[in-house]
Amino acid sequence: MVALVPTLLRQELARLAENDARIDGRGRWEARDITLETDCLYNGEGSAKVVWGDTIIYAGVKFEMRTPWPDRPNQGSLMCSAELRPIAGRKYEPGPPSPESIELGRVVDRGIRESGCIDMEKLCIVPGEKVWGVMIDIHVLSDQGNMFDACALAAIAALRTAIVPAERFDVGEDYTLKVKSTPIMASFTRVGGRYVFDPSAEEELGGDERIHITLGDEGHLHSLQKGLKGVFTPDEFAEIFDVAQSRCVELRKLVANQEGN
Amino acid sequence: MSQGQIGAELRLVTPGMAIGPLSGKRVGSGALAQNEEIIATRLGWVRELNDTVSVDPINSTYMPRSGDLIIAIVAEVRNNLWFMNVNGPFQGLLPMSLAPWKVEFGAARQHMGIGDVVMARVQEVDECHNVVLTMKGVGLRRLNEGSILSVPVNHVDRIRGNNNETLHRLREICDCRIMVGDNGRVWIDGNAEGTSWARSAIELASKSGHKLSFEAELSALENDAPKRGDA
Amino acid sequence: MGGYGDVKLLREDGLRLDGRKIDEMRPIEIEAGTLPGADGSAWVKHGLNVAVAAVYGPMEAHPRKIQRQDRCVIDVRYNMAPFSTSDRIRPGYNRRSREISKVTAEALESVVICERYPRSKIRVEIEILSAEAGTRCVGITAAAVALADAGIPMRDLLVGVASGKVEDTVVLDLDKAEDNYGQADLPVGILPNTGEIAFLQMDGDLSPDEFNLAMEYNFKAAAEIHDIMVDALKRRYEGGEN
Repeated sequence: MVALVPTLLRQELARLAENDARIDGRGRWEARDITLETDCLYNGEGSAKVVWGDTIIYAGVKFEMRTPWPDRPNQGSLMCSAELRPIAGRKYEPGPPSPESIELGRVVDRGIRESGCIDMEKLCIVPGEKVWGVMIDIHVLSDQGNMFDACALAAIAALRTAIVPAERFDVGEDYTLKVKSTPIMASFTRVGGRYVFDPSAEEELGGDERIHITLGDEGHLHSLQKGLKGVFTPDEFAEIFDVAQSRCVELRKLVANQEGN
Repeated sequence: MSQGQIGAELRLVTPGMAIGPLSGKRVGSGALAQNEEIIATRLGWVRELNDTVSVDPINSTYMPRSGDLIIAIVAEVRNNLWFMNVNGPFQGLLPMSLAPWKVEFGAARQHMGIGDVVMARVQEVDECHNVVLTMKGVGLRRLNEGSILSVPVNHVDRIRGNNNETLHRLREICDCRIMVGDNGRVWIDGNAEGTSWARSAIELASKSGHKLSFEAELSALENDAPKRGDA
Repeated sequence: MGGYGDVKLLREDGLRLDGRKIDEMRPIEIEAGTLPGADGSAWVKHGLNVAVAAVYGPMEAHPRKIQRQDRCVIDVRYNMAPFSTSDRIRPGYNRRSREISKVTAEALESVVICERYPRSKIRVEIEILSAEAGTRCVGITAAAVALADAGIPMRDLLVGVASGKVEDTVVLDLDKAEDNYGQADLPVGILPNTGEIAFLQMDGDLSPDEFNLAMEYNFKAAAEIHDIMVDALKRRYEGGEN
């Protein structure tokens, strides 16, 4: 279903942008309230729930034991995928995975994978025979804006609190999965002609293209993605890149607080 | 909304719940008669007026009725008509002949395009929910400025108040033009401070419109209103 | 039903492995209106099961061929999240969830006053986030609360509940072990006010007497769950109208 964009909404967003204001009164780089909860799903070896404004995301980590790929006999594997099921909103329709849900899963996957936070060789049980396959599944229950950042936050929080179920597979005692860093995503959407952080559903409806930036602990880039119709300049990117650095540091603290529990 | 029972005990009922014995009473909307008893079919407040028992639903989808004043959004344009999103299950149809302009065949697009917002009236609804709209009438026009908000359809009456008292008060406080459509869409136009205050008042009605505390919460919000003439 | 006779499911003192009496339910918590973007929604925790349901609509039924000129259709999707069980579930087409979706939709069509919305569709989305036996019943309960929350007219609040048989004893509300190693499972959808049944499945082995006892347990439990559903809806809208 293609969402109908009222011309008045685009007009209003443009007018607000001129006064550096937002429709819900937030500052340009200000996020909505975020709560993060981990270990919240009984059958997940790691799990997280993120409530970000009115956006609600669950992520669960599962392990499976499998034989390694022949060319990498001592490496396990990591896969992250997202399901954008029709519960997430009126505009989502049933059917095979949409390009949107595949993009969502792959962008989050790249950020985590490329940060190198999981040492694939540590997932090896018996070289050439048995390795762990780690699967992060993201479930979007409610998409009310900026679901990419919320999904990435849920995924890394679930991963960082995951317990390897070695006992259940008869290969020793359960242990905490070693995750070396905390890659975090910050996304920006063009609303009323300029970029803002954490767009609401209304801002996304009346907005244009978006840019997703995933940064590692040291502030290095691990994944980038430009989505939707629109173009941007290097200067605009430089501006949001700076903001992304500070937003990612703050979001990383949310994850660290959960691990302290 | 529930005039005639002020002070009476308010009763929230759920579907299937027995409201009371039928004993000669008439059954209104949101209820049905079964084995000499009146049964609620919707989540809402029991209302008894002139021997008719009905349930005022807390939530419902907008179902157009002829005569409704609504805020619609153009969804499709053809040579000689527009299809309008009316915030209900089905689109409404606005034929060229009921537009406020003299439209040549094939020129509908020159007057209104997709996404344009209008005040319209529901001309006719048939039993299959086909909806015909009209823009001929006082105040019916394309809205070229301002913003649109959504509220639950059942709270529309609360925003208007008795004889539009609440609506007049809101307009007065924020010095904005405000129009409330029967289909749960509200149009606001004014300066930045006024619009922003009106937005919070409408959002309050969306969240708490069904609560006893609504009036008090609205009065509290009134104290935060921008002073007239400041802007 | 596995029906493996060698797994002990009842203790010496007559209680079940988790300490419940034979006619005792697992604890239930319900919350209405948990998803801000949906027309109606509900969250149900029943034992270790967690189900979330959302309702969208009524909306125009698409494609046209599914439209009914005299009533609405109810489009149910029951789905288990990949991380809801101990072994991951591969997302995608699944015969079990298709069947449950179909019979759940038909059960809901029996309570919703469908004639009110010709040519329309009401979408009911049921997501199981955590599974511990009996998810279809938890899904039905969640769907009913979500439909009521959305203001959809219904003859009653449908309640999902199950009884079964373990070690030749009829018990209410099977948990995971009892489901895996028990002898029968009887999930039903009950209209608590009218005493009618809108959903019925069963597998395993039950004598006529055992069936009657299991149904008796189900009706008793449905009344209890109904109270919790009503309470959830009232809590959501407390404060009252004037």
